[in-house]
This record gives sequence, structure tokens and C-alpha cells, in this order.
Amino acid sequence: MKRNGLANDQSQQTCLDIPLYYNHNVVLIMLGEFEYLLITAAASLGEDAYGAAIRAEIESTTTHSCSIGALYTTIERLEKKGLVKTWMGEATAERGGRSKRMVRVTPKGVQAAKEFYNAITRISKGVSWVTN
Amino acid sequence: MGWCLVELSARLLPPFQREPVLGDLAEANQNALRSLFDVLGLFFRYQAQLWSDWRPWLAGFGIALPSSYLLMCASASVTSTYLRLFEGRTFWHGWPTGHEGLPLLTCHIFLLIAWSWTAGFVVGSLSRRTLWASLMLCLLPCFSCAAMFSPLPKVCLFMFIVPGIWGLRRGLRAMSVERTFALALAALVTVLMLIAWKFDALWVFNWGLILPVWYLAASFTTEQYPHPVPTHHQ
Repeated sequence: MKRNGLANDQSQQTCLDIPLYYNHNVVLIMLGEFEYLLITAAASLGEDAYGAAIRAEIESTTTHSCSIGALYTTIERLEKKGLVKTWMGEATAERGGRSKRMVRVTPKGVQAAKEFYNAITRISKGVSWVTN
Repeated sequence: MGWCLVELSARLLPPFQREPVLGDLAEANQNALRSLFDVLGLFFRYQAQLWSDWRPWLAGFGIALPSSYLLMCASASVTSTYLRLFEGRTFWHGWPTGHEGLPLLTCHIFLLIAWSWTAGFVVGSLSRRTLWASLMLCLLPCFSCAAMFSPLPKVCLFMFIVPGIWGLRRGLRAMSVERTFALALAALVTVLMLIAWKFDALWVFNWGLILPVWYLAASFTTEQYPHPVPTHHQ
């Protein structure tokens, strides 16, 4: 018996009944577009990623305003999913002596963002608004 | 003035969130009105997120609201029985506990304490961040039905409050109970309720109060603790 052109012995190597060769493009954690924007902004800011900086990055890139509510509830959600990690950073005078909430994208977050980007790139192939 | 309101409204946020949010608003240098909307928006989003879970609904509408009504009736029943037995004052002849003697009164007092404690514990455990809603739902029958029991001293109607708060405090601290204790309590409450039922001294709706007792035995025992006590979300 062959499945997707692979030999039967390969299909028997299973983990939780999922064959090892199984490579269907299932995005296990499909990001929402705002989640993707946030992860991408945090990744591009690197060590300097924290609430206000991510917000400014998203606003300047998308030219849309980003509310604190949307930002922080999304950070919370992403942290719950294990896609970002947050911790309390330093306090500065510019912030009235208040601490920053630093954000770092986890490897799982990078993977989820990559999958989202690939899905968007694939589905956008050939549509009128894509130039190449 | 505007920033005072912003700081005041930020108190609605959990402490770990307050500092970074106020810092971000100061850094963004935006006006007080927009900052106020931002903070309130965040608060409402948090609340909406909390209510997307089943636990606050169960705690508020499944336990706090019906239990407070039933416990108030049980308090009234215990009080009227006590007054009849020890002071010779009679209320409501048709009341299910109208014929109770001292042993059934003792049984009812124990049941009242056990029901209140477990209901408080389960509500506290399930709705830490939405406790305000559970408490409001608990107060609703207290205010609306207090007039129904007007012949009795008002304070006696709220006999369930003290054990209820005791259980609530334990539940809020996410304290566990020994599995053997929880199972013994559930078994004892069931047996006492069956005895009271056999002697026609239990209102049929009081069986609803057994649910938090068994829920406690099934969910909040040491063998399953420590629960991943939510620090940010619940």
C-alpha cells in the first residue's frame, strides 16, 4: 500500500497516529494578522522590543493607529500560546520612572510567523495586486 | 486633572499591567483623553476576555446567584426553627422545617455551614478576576428577597455570609483541600441531606447546593494541585 508515493514502512512510523512523512501544510498555530504584525515588529526591534516601541513600529508601518488595549491583549494572548515571552524591563525618566514590558519572540513564535508569511505569499501568487 | 483620571482608571488594571501601560502612555506623549480611552479600552478588553471562559459564568450564574438565594432560605429556616424551639415563637407553619427538633436543627446548621463554605470556595477559585460580578450576583437575591422573610431578624438571614466568606478567601488563595477531607465532607453532606430529606425537613431545591460540594471533591483536591494558577489571564 502506498500513500502519497511513500512506502508502507514509512507510514507505519507514527506518533499519535500521525505518519512521520505527513507534511500537509497545516498551520498548527495560525496567527491573526494583528498577531503577525506584532510578532514581526517585535522581531525587527530585537532587544528593544517593548510595548510603546512595538506600538510605534506598527503605527508607522501600517499608518493606522494601534490602541494600547489591542496591543496588550494581543501580547497576553501570544504569551499564553508561547509565541512571545515578556518580562519587566528598566524604568526611564522619559516614561515617568515606570518600567517597560519587554517582549521577545520565541522560536515557536518565529515558526508561526514564518508559516503565516508563507501562507500569505502562496495564496497571493498571481493575484492582480501582487506586482511580480 | 486629565492625567489624574488616567491614573485612577489604570487602577482597574491588574498591578503587573499598570506600570508598563502608564509608562507607554507617558512615552507616547498623547493627550489625557485618548490615554483615558486607551486605559478603559484595555480594561474592557480584559473583562471581555475573562468572560469568554466558562468559569466566570459557572461561578456567577451557576453557583453565586442560585446558592445565595437557597442559602438565605436555609438561614431563615434555621433561624425560625431555633426561635420556635428556644423562644416559642412560630413562623410559617407550612415551612418544610416547621416540625424540626433539636437533632434536625443541628444537622441543618452543619449543612448550612458546609454548603456556604464550599459554595464560597468554588466561587473564589473559579472567578478570581470576575469576583466583583459573582459578588453582585450573590447580593441580588439578598436584597430582593430580604423582604420576604421580614418577620425574622434581618441579621439571621445572612448566617451563610461568614462561612461563605471564609470559603471564598480560601478559594481566592488557591488553597487546596485534602482529597480525603473533600470526599468525607461530600459524603457527610450527602448523608445528612438524605436524613433531612427522609424526615421531610429539606426543600427540594436545596439539592442544588450539593453540586459545589461534589465539584470541590472532584476538582480542588491536593492530588490535582498545584493547578497552573493563572497569573495574567484569570
